Amino acid sequence: MPSTDNVAAPHLRGRKVLIVDDDRINVRILSGILEREGYAVTDVDSGERALEVYPRLQPDLVLMDVMMSGMNGFDTCRQLKSIYGNKTAPIIFITAKTESDDVVEGLRAGGVDYLSKPIRPNEAAARIRIHLANRLLSEQQKSLVEQLSRANAAKNRFLGIAAHDLRNPLASIRGLAEFLQDSMLGTLNAEQLDLVRTIQTTSHQMLDMVNELLDVAIIESGEMKIHAEPTSLTELIAKSVHLMGMEAAKKHTRLTLLPPGALPALSLDPAKMRQVIDNLLSNSIKYSPPASNIIITLVATDDRVHFAVRDQGPGIPEGERDKLFKDFGRLSVKPTGGEKSTGLGLAICRNIVEAHNGSITAENMPGGGCEFRVSLPIAS
Amino acid sequence: MTFDGKILLVDDEAHVRKFVGLIARTLGNPTLLEASNGADALEVYQREKPDVVLLDVNMPILDGIGTLRELKAIDPEAVVIMLTSLANRQTVEESLELGASNYLRKDTPRDEIARRLKETLEAIFGSEENVDRPA
Repeated sequence: MPSTDNVAAPHLRGRKVLIVDDDRINVRILSGILEREGYAVTDVDSGERALEVYPRLQPDLVLMDVMMSGMNGFDTCRQLKSIYGNKTAPIIFITAKTESDDVVEGLRAGGVDYLSKPIRPNEAAARIRIHLANRLLSEQQKSLVEQLSRANAAKNRFLGIAAHDLRNPLASIRGLAEFLQDSMLGTLNAEQLDLVRTIQTTSHQMLDMVNELLDVAIIESGEMKIHAEPTSLTELIAKSVHLMGMEAAKKHTRLTLLPPGALPALSLDPAKMRQVIDNLLSNSIKYSPPASNIIITLVATDDRVHFAVRDQGPGIPEGERDKLFKDFGRLSVKPTGGEKSTGLGLAICRNIVEAHNGSITAENMPGGGCEFRVSLPIAS
Repeated sequence: MTFDGKILLVDDEAHVRKFVGLIARTLGNPTLLEASNGADALEVYQREKPDVVLLDVNMPILDGIGTLRELKAIDPEAVVIMLTSLANRQTVEESLELGASNYLRKDTPRDEIARRLKETLEAIFGSEENVDRPA
């Protein structure tokens, strides 16, 4: 046996091991091995005592004899598991027999490993070390996950507060600029008017971005609520196409809604679904070259409604598909008219669609451009 | 209707008072009074007896709900419209229970605020006659 097997892992020193065994000689042997490794050892002579000391001791590992008078090792293990669930320390059985039945029952009872008598010190030390190291790693991982989710929650709170605090001033700036633009307070010359228009459009864009940040904060904190009501998706889309059509006209782009067949009313949150439709239309305008033709289709199959927007943009670059529906997943493709993008829009869309038990996908078209498809269940 | 009455604008943020003030001016020729906190608002209210109070929710010294309570205690007939933002949903319900006539979301586009304000004033003062105050 190489002597390195006997070197204790320094980061495991002081870990607490509970020995449950009614055989004094065996306890002495095991204690000797464990103490050489630098562990803190406690021993008890029955399953009942083990259940008693366990909560106070909170061991990092349990060595459990199988054959004991009173409650046997398997039952003690099952009891511990039923009380402490997956937080229970790893339990290694000590068995006189190596028959596979015993081993199988031990593993089935929730044990992680077994040592057979007579104990071979180096093997026992090595196995115990592995399980203590695993336990330590999983503890560290748990605490890391907790830290990260706390940090993420703090980020969302901050995002929410910042976005809330920015909304009102931005809305006022936009509104005040609109009053100046109206000449309600006197006529502006052409240059002044141009500046005021810039203030108006810029604050409007900022407000949109702040709203998207707020949406993400709400979605991530799990506070997004769907207020579903019977809604005509056809009307919702037609309205959106009409309004966004004016935006598109600035780039000489045309939005065409192919005549949809009769559709049943769906149970949707109209404001949220409108946000999805607006976002897909706005993207199709943003990323298509000026004077494009954007086709919107709406069809029903047996149990689903399919809504699609086909643009004439550059499509989704291969290798960037994964980023498409993720937060801040802005792709390398750029808007063609200097429009702004937070990269949050499609992530928000995906969340809204999924909250409606629907799905959203995107596909590059053989003839160029790409198509975004939303599919929603008719009875949800 | 055109609204030529007295409006008291209460908000700790000057930009909101200016913005909402301009919106009110699109409805007629109102006299605009301003206060930047609840305590000042109560003082101005008692001195000037405005027809309408537009009242912010989050303010230092005395917040919107506290101010609303005090206003209603001074004058149960006081017409109060709350100025709210996205975060105030619960306060909105509380204020309506306390006797506020309606609420305006100050983070919405100005045409929407104007329309809502006009509808609220028409509901309170009637849509036919002009609201005018003898000097």
